[in-house]
Amino acid sequence: MLRRYHVVGIPIRIVVNNFGDHNPDGRIYVLKENEEKVRDLVRKNPFTPVDLVEPLTIRACEGDTVEILFENQLPFDAGMHFQEADYDVFDSDGADAGLNPDTTVPCGKSILYRIYASREGTFFFTDLGNVSSTEKGSSIQGLFGALLVQRRGSTWTDPVTGGPLHSGVYADIHHPFLPSFREYAWYFSDEMEIDDLTGNSPLNPMTNQEGESFHGVNLRYEPMANRKRLIDEGVVCPDCDAEEVHHDSWVFGDPATPILRGYKGDPAIIRLIHGGAKETHVFHYHVHQWLGDPTNTQAEILDSQAISPQSHYDVQPLYGLGSLHGAIGDVIIHCHLYPHFGAGMWGINRIFDTLQDGSQCYPNGMPIAPLKPLPDRPAPPEPTPERPGFPNFIPGKVGFKAPRPPLGIVGGREMTELEKNTAIPNARPGAVFAEPTLENANVVEFNVSAIELPVVYNKQGWHDPKARFYVFDEDLDDILSGKKEPEPLVFHVPAGTVIRFNYTNRLPHILDGDAFQLVTRTYESGYHIHFVKFDVLVSDGANTGWNYDSSVLPGETIQYEWYADTELKAFFVHDHLFANSHQQHGMFGAGVVQPRFSKFFDSCTGEEVDHGTQVTVSHPLIPDYRDFSLFAQDFTMLFDKDGCPIQPPPFPGSEDDPGVFAVNYKCEPLKFRLGEDCDPAYSFSSYVNGDPVTPILRGYAGDPIRIRLLQGAHEESHSFNVHGLKWKEERPDLGSHFNSQQHIGISESFTFETELKGPGDYLWAFETEEDVWLGTWGLIRAYEELVDDLIVLTDKSCPPPRTKPLPCPTGKPPARAEPLSTLPPHATPCAPVRRYDVVAFQTPIIYNSYGDHDPYGIVFALAEDVDDILSGKKNPEPLVLRANVGDLVEVSLTSRLKFDLFPFKDGIHPYPPVKEQAFYPPSLRISLHTSLLDYDVRTSSGDTVGYNPDQTVGPGEVITYRWFVDGQHGTCAMWDMADLRNHRSFGTFGAFIAEPRFTTYHDPYTLEEVKTGANVVLKNPLVPTTREYVLIMHDGVRLEDKNGQLIVDPVDGIIPGIEEEEAGDLLDTYDNGSRGFNYRSERLINRYRELPKLSKLFSSEVFGDPATPIFEAYTGDAVTFCLTNPSERRRAHTFHLHGHYWKFDSKDLDSRVQSFEGHIVAGFTADLRLIGGAGGVYNFPGDYLYRSGNIRWDIEQGMWGIFRVHDKLKSHLPKLE
Amino acid sequence: MSQQSINQLHDEGLIEHFTMGKGYRVFILTPSYPFMFIGEIKDVRDDIVDIWVETTHFSQLENRLWHIHIDNIEVFYIEREGEPEIPRLSEDYY
Repeated sequence: MLRRYHVVGIPIRIVVNNFGDHNPDGRIYVLKENEEKVRDLVRKNPFTPVDLVEPLTIRACEGDTVEILFENQLPFDAGMHFQEADYDVFDSDGADAGLNPDTTVPCGKSILYRIYASREGTFFFTDLGNVSSTEKGSSIQGLFGALLVQRRGSTWTDPVTGGPLHSGVYADIHHPFLPSFREYAWYFSDEMEIDDLTGNSPLNPMTNQEGESFHGVNLRYEPMANRKRLIDEGVVCPDCDAEEVHHDSWVFGDPATPILRGYKGDPAIIRLIHGGAKETHVFHYHVHQWLGDPTNTQAEILDSQAISPQSHYDVQPLYGLGSLHGAIGDVIIHCHLYPHFGAGMWGINRIFDTLQDGSQCYPNGMPIAPLKPLPDRPAPPEPTPERPGFPNFIPGKVGFKAPRPPLGIVGGREMTELEKNTAIPNARPGAVFAEPTLENANVVEFNVSAIELPVVYNKQGWHDPKARFYVFDEDLDDILSGKKEPEPLVFHVPAGTVIRFNYTNRLPHILDGDAFQLVTRTYESGYHIHFVKFDVLVSDGANTGWNYDSSVLPGETIQYEWYADTELKAFFVHDHLFANSHQQHGMFGAGVVQPRFSKFFDSCTGEEVDHGTQVTVSHPLIPDYRDFSLFAQDFTMLFDKDGCPIQPPPFPGSEDDPGVFAVNYKCEPLKFRLGEDCDPAYSFSSYVNGDPVTPILRGYAGDPIRIRLLQGAHEESHSFNVHGLKWKEERPDLGSHFNSQQHIGISESFTFETELKGPGDYLWAFETEEDVWLGTWGLIRAYEELVDDLIVLTDKSCPPPRTKPLPCPTGKPPARAEPLSTLPPHATPCAPVRRYDVVAFQTPIIYNSYGDHDPYGIVFALAEDVDDILSGKKNPEPLVLRANVGDLVEVSLTSRLKFDLFPFKDGIHPYPPVKEQAFYPPSLRISLHTSLLDYDVRTSSGDTVGYNPDQTVGPGEVITYRWFVDGQHGTCAMWDMADLRNHRSFGTFGAFIAEPRFTTYHDPYTLEEVKTGANVVLKNPLVPTTREYVLIMHDGVRLEDKNGQLIVDPVDGIIPGIEEEEAGDLLDTYDNGSRGFNYRSERLINRYRELPKLSKLFSSEVFGDPATPIFEAYTGDAVTFCLTNPSERRRAHTFHLHGHYWKFDSKDLDSRVQSFEGHIVAGFTADLRLIGGAGGVYNFPGDYLYRSGNIRWDIEQGMWGIFRVHDKLKSHLPKLE
Repeated sequence: MSQQSINQLHDEGLIEHFTMGKGYRVFILTPSYPFMFIGEIKDVRDDIVDIWVETTHFSQLENRLWHIHIDNIEVFYIEREGEPEIPRLSEDYY
């Protein structure tokens, strides 16, 4: 079917809330039929949101051809680029890429794009005519939308009128033989320009400083600051503070942000889209869970999901709205990054239990818009005076805080008559209006309190004088007396358990002020929980919309009830009332729903327990295992031993990245671990420095383990890596690929199931540079022989008795490892050996033709290439090694590092910066670490960690690592572990590709066999000949320009430039540094200086080809992109390849198809096997951009390149056989 | 000589084995929900095994008669005298 849309790009004022905050320079896509209407409405309503000013959301069906006539009324060249779509890149790319014709159009002109909607999904569209990251850009000012492609045969209607719908973020989708469902498009965006009602930058009434930047949904935001002003002025709720009522509709009425309306049980899909520019957000949806991959029933279950710029996911709540138990009420949906949440990035899913035909009102008199029941579901009952339905049975007072729930608070109130009429038959504390529990359930009861107590984070006396955390009441005395050390509360229950939870608020009324924060009246708190089933009206531990406020005052106790219906991973718990004020002080924890019939034991004593971050789990049917919980923390507000604040923000109350980082209330900064020799190569060594104070996860070699990974606080992305172990990405799915790295944002939860395959110390680390620098790392220790304080798993034979004493610190570097003395644990004795001689040395690296270069590059290269690189014949590329499944790889590494060639000989590495700069001189030692491969962690991990021997080499020394390729892992990360601070920014990384057995590797231009290279042809007797392109996406690079001047990216690369004062607080430390692919960066600013025309900056006709790799293929060639990020900064990236898509999990045929990779941070690896091969399924020739999806600050800074697909034979490029 | 196919022989063997197991406890894994059963074999009717299920993954599905087709049984163990016991699973933890 052919569908046609006429879309206009227009400049428009975007009013983002009812307080009159607005973007005077907004830009949106709108249907032509609405253009005049929307302009008129905006003219007449200068301070009120206009519904049509929203991200344009249009629809089509799978199999449709969609013709979009795009008309540009914007004051710059613009276009529409569609992700996920099939299209001819010559006429419908919406960009001027490489040698293609320009498919952007100038102001006043139109262009016809033809999009083939080959499959269901979200075809996100945005503009590539103006990728400026400033307010002069397009995306950042609102120019994005989506074509939502439905199943073939679908139709859609307006949920309010039931009539036809041409565009809009809400629709009811119908199908001849599938259930109708509610469709909600939810667009996160960030950093948009905002003025307040008076035309000035909004101020934060608490700090009287400039407010937080825009973080919103569907071009709306509802900041706490605005609502607080109404309290301060005495308009509403004079006894309230701010954060505890931020989401309270009783006080303020409904927010301007999206309210996704439906009836209990309605099937629904939220099309979660990141239209913004910079941040990786975490989407969290209370009460509900969904499959991480909706096409794969064995996918991991989520209730929080990180999303990077220009990426998208489907959130299809299991069991429909209200989940399994049919909860009713207001369910908050928000970005879990607290500063964003506070800034207004939230909305509500409103689940009604009675029919809404337009005759009802909310308690504040605002009419409730009609909502058509889905046609294939029974209509909900009509409201009656006795049973008015949500929210009109709740005894609240408009203008005042929401009432407390009935029954739940000890000593509290009974139900009113209206509440009784709505309640379930056996209403009880914590379960009044929805029955969370199935019959026959096992019941446990826990008593937990929140307390405030100083906590010391490390041996150097870094401490949080106002730490706040949850404790079991039975541990209160021991913790208060110092007998027991505080840790995040983790309780364990078997599946099928009802948890009755008595929560007592023992916190002081006041969170005192200091260099980090202003005095805040945190007078109530709750215990909000993820994953499990609960009555959201009374047990949410939150205060949302027209619900009750299910928190308690100091000294009060509230009873919650939750049902853990099936085995889950760890579920996150935290306070929801003053989370932005005190969660970073430690107010978080987790519950773990273990397999039914599990029992839990203290791993040291063997006593049966029900809580702890390290326990041993025993089960009558499945193997016993060790269970470890790790919580990443940022915004950790610590003071040193002298009482000085560590990394305070510019002013108290600022959200500008205050404090440091930690794990489980501990940190082990590297600056304290230099040792006597001041050599960073031994910073992780327990011989030199003793064990870290951070968690050491203990077991015996061979023990199965489960690592529960969570993030407790507060705003940033972290990258968890374990060296030497790996796990299935989707734990329930045996077909999924292995991983040894995981990006995490606050509230996400992952379980990694693996085993301690051999003895030794395994490094775990949140492994971006600044995280490790500040101490977010620790060990997994696998003992070979029995130790006194670690019980043996009941189904394992007892390890041999101890024959030698446990190692202890010596202050000296350990003995050198002897990798050739052992085989990797899984290596077969007769494995073929593949050898590489690798040299690490310093050499300048030229990043582009404009002379941007790194004069202090440190690279790995094959020994045979060293002379050519040093003589300038070859510009170095990151080293790419390959081997086949079953190969034993022996890599001999030689160090030729010279102290004189390091730039910062005084030991202070100033740029790119990290927090807590300190003396940390460059190491002349170096190593090679790979992820995913099989090796003896004591000899061949490339780490000198814990009590393992030394696996680094100094100048003139050689070490030969042994790695076994135990699976077709594809891309493995590879980097140096000797000196993260002084080496990585200069290029000490590469990639290892684990190929199928019998594969040979060939130069794409000569077809001769090669040993290395980012661009090769793979030949294999069993699988098709394939072009393989390795893309190493890296950041944190220190570049100088052709005149030897330091390039301070991203600021120096911003187009058209920014004022100096704007640059001041624009960046976090981890935004600094240049970036690119494979030691190359095509910074757009260089091109812009030659020709200041934004839409032309990707054009090879104007500028020649970029310096980044040009990968060439013929249409239909089998192609795999091997993508990895070995570097170093914490800002997560998105990768997008125009006109192509691939399976999210290359190993899993059931996995979803997508054209992007999100949350790319240190250790990330993926193999993108292009569906249909080069040119996509239609085999269209042309130049396809590969690029970052981050407008801030990647694309301008050079993170892009070209994939060139030919349809005619080229003499320089042999065809594949 | 039997004219039965190997599949028929295989099915008959299983049916006979389960028939001889009547009155004994059995442990079964299936590829479909709820995946695991522990209970007593009550009867075998054609190629359907009737089991009084004392334990599955979900307590809501226990203490009732399940009819399981033998083709859906991937793994099983019938407990007989003198042989290892199938665990008796209970939830008296707290």
